[in-house]
Amino acid sequence: MLRFALTQTLSVAITLVVVLSLVFVGMRALPGDAAAILSGLDAEQAQVEALRRELGLDRPLIVQYGAYWVDLLRGDLGHSIRERRPVSEVLRERMPVTLALAGAAFGLSLVVGLGVGLLAGRRPGSTADGVALGFTTVGLALPEFWFAFLLILLFAVQLGAFPVIGFPVEGALALRLWHLTLPALTLAIPRAAQIARLARARLLQEAAADYVRTARSKGVRPRALTRHVAANALPGLLPLLALELGGLLTGTIVVEQVFGLPGLGLTLLGAIGARDYGVVQGVTIVAVVVYIAVNMLADALQVLVDPRLRYA
Amino acid sequence: MSRVRIGAALAALIVASALVGPWLMPHDPIRPDYAARYAAPSAQHWLGTDGLGRDVLARSLSGGRVSLAISAGATVLTLVLGLVAGLVAVGLRGTVDVVLTRAFDALLAFPGFLLVLLLVAILGGGVWQTMLALGVAGSPLYFRLVRAYARSELGRDYVLAGAALGASRARLLLRHALPNFIGVLAVQAASTAATFLLVEASLSYLGLGVPLPTPSWGNVLQDARSFLTRQPWAALGPGLVLASAALALQFLSDGLRDRLDRRT
Repeated sequence: MLRFALTQTLSVAITLVVVLSLVFVGMRALPGDAAAILSGLDAEQAQVEALRRELGLDRPLIVQYGAYWVDLLRGDLGHSIRERRPVSEVLRERMPVTLALAGAAFGLSLVVGLGVGLLAGRRPGSTADGVALGFTTVGLALPEFWFAFLLILLFAVQLGAFPVIGFPVEGALALRLWHLTLPALTLAIPRAAQIARLARARLLQEAAADYVRTARSKGVRPRALTRHVAANALPGLLPLLALELGGLLTGTIVVEQVFGLPGLGLTLLGAIGARDYGVVQGVTIVAVVVYIAVNMLADALQVLVDPRLRYA
Repeated sequence: MSRVRIGAALAALIVASALVGPWLMPHDPIRPDYAARYAAPSAQHWLGTDGLGRDVLARSLSGGRVSLAISAGATVLTLVLGLVAGLVAVGLRGTVDVVLTRAFDALLAFPGFLLVLLLVAILGGGVWQTMLALGVAGSPLYFRLVRAYARSELGRDYVLAGAALGASRARLLLRHALPNFIGVLAVQAASTAATFLLVEASLSYLGLGVPLPTPSWGNVLQDARSFLTRQPWAALGPGLVLASAALALQFLSDGLRDRLDRRT
């Protein structure tokens, strides 16, 4: 067990070093640097040079890289060039919006996806199954932002029931939830389709197992059987759920842009445009660490709920 | 009608309209016509015009060319990358296998959309850059598939028999093992092409993919966003075609997968 934990940790550490180095070098390979962009189009060359020196961007790349790692190992994510404050502060400010949105979207997709999947998988070929198939097929083909347009047109413009854009960061909880409804729905439907699809497939696969046939031949009622089938089939969904939950932290970018939500996604987009290296690296670190952690957690959870995997 | 047929017919229709459509259109998809800004749908402009007076239908059709080409090119690229790297890893084994597996695993450490976004940001916007970014981002899946299938096939009796007859490892891999799983990859590729269509649209919507004024389904919809409430049809039309294209490819992939399953 200890050995396993050590190799896992080492593997994650190596991955992080590679990932961060790629982002560090990649960002600086972009045309134009932060100093030039910050100074504006009609700045004097000397002005840009001074700013570049002030920001430490005139140092050799390898020195900047070294300094970056020294800071990082001290827990310092660096400085936002554009916002002129620590990256950690920027992240702490923008994270709650994205977390709330991702959480709401994930919860919604879980409820809808499992509901539709169970309904479809219990009686393959039924009308309910047909409707579910329609839902998953359309859900998977929907362009996210276009679906957002449809929701805006229907609920915000026609019915006037929800706000079109913006987010009251300081507002009451109910108000904030109200602003998150359409964005969360946009994110949830395609993900629910994916969950429903896999849930149905897993249920059908499990229903074909020998123990189900035996139980059925002995006269076990279908309702009682469904519980056993579901209990065996659903842990197989955990890897997919982990991918979706882990991916949502940056998967919200498009939706944040459409609805004007000041979360991590909009911050990342702006930072890429402004060559705000520190913020791009900061968002990437958080996103990658969360993504890896959620996936590892799901693996562990799967072994926990399905003891058969322990001997595999 | 089977899903394969519906998918194929729909895909053929969309590809044909993207190929022939721009050539039939009397309107220029790129040159602004300030006299005809924000026109409602009419006999002349079926989907109306955008903020620069350009015909929305003309832009959608030309945009289809660009979007479909990017998706197709990226799918081929991702397939080739995964296939070549996977076969090399299995064929040469040892250190090469370890290094390649590690490298692709590093790509998998990124949440999917973040990886494409960063790649496009680093490469800069453009048709070719977007294609390359999508191709690279999609390749780890294919590398893993190829590696898993190739290794499992190499353990089968028919491959052992081939080895006993003196066939080289390369021959066993390419002539014996590969034909047995290339079909599965093709089926998966149709689904990947659908995903790439949607991702390219998202990138171009964010202004990172295909740069204006070149139209793609994504940036045509980005234009439409700014006058969504005034002219919803400008967003509904191209979006519907984009969704149909993704749907067609998904149908094709699912239907073909079912057929393959039944055979085995």
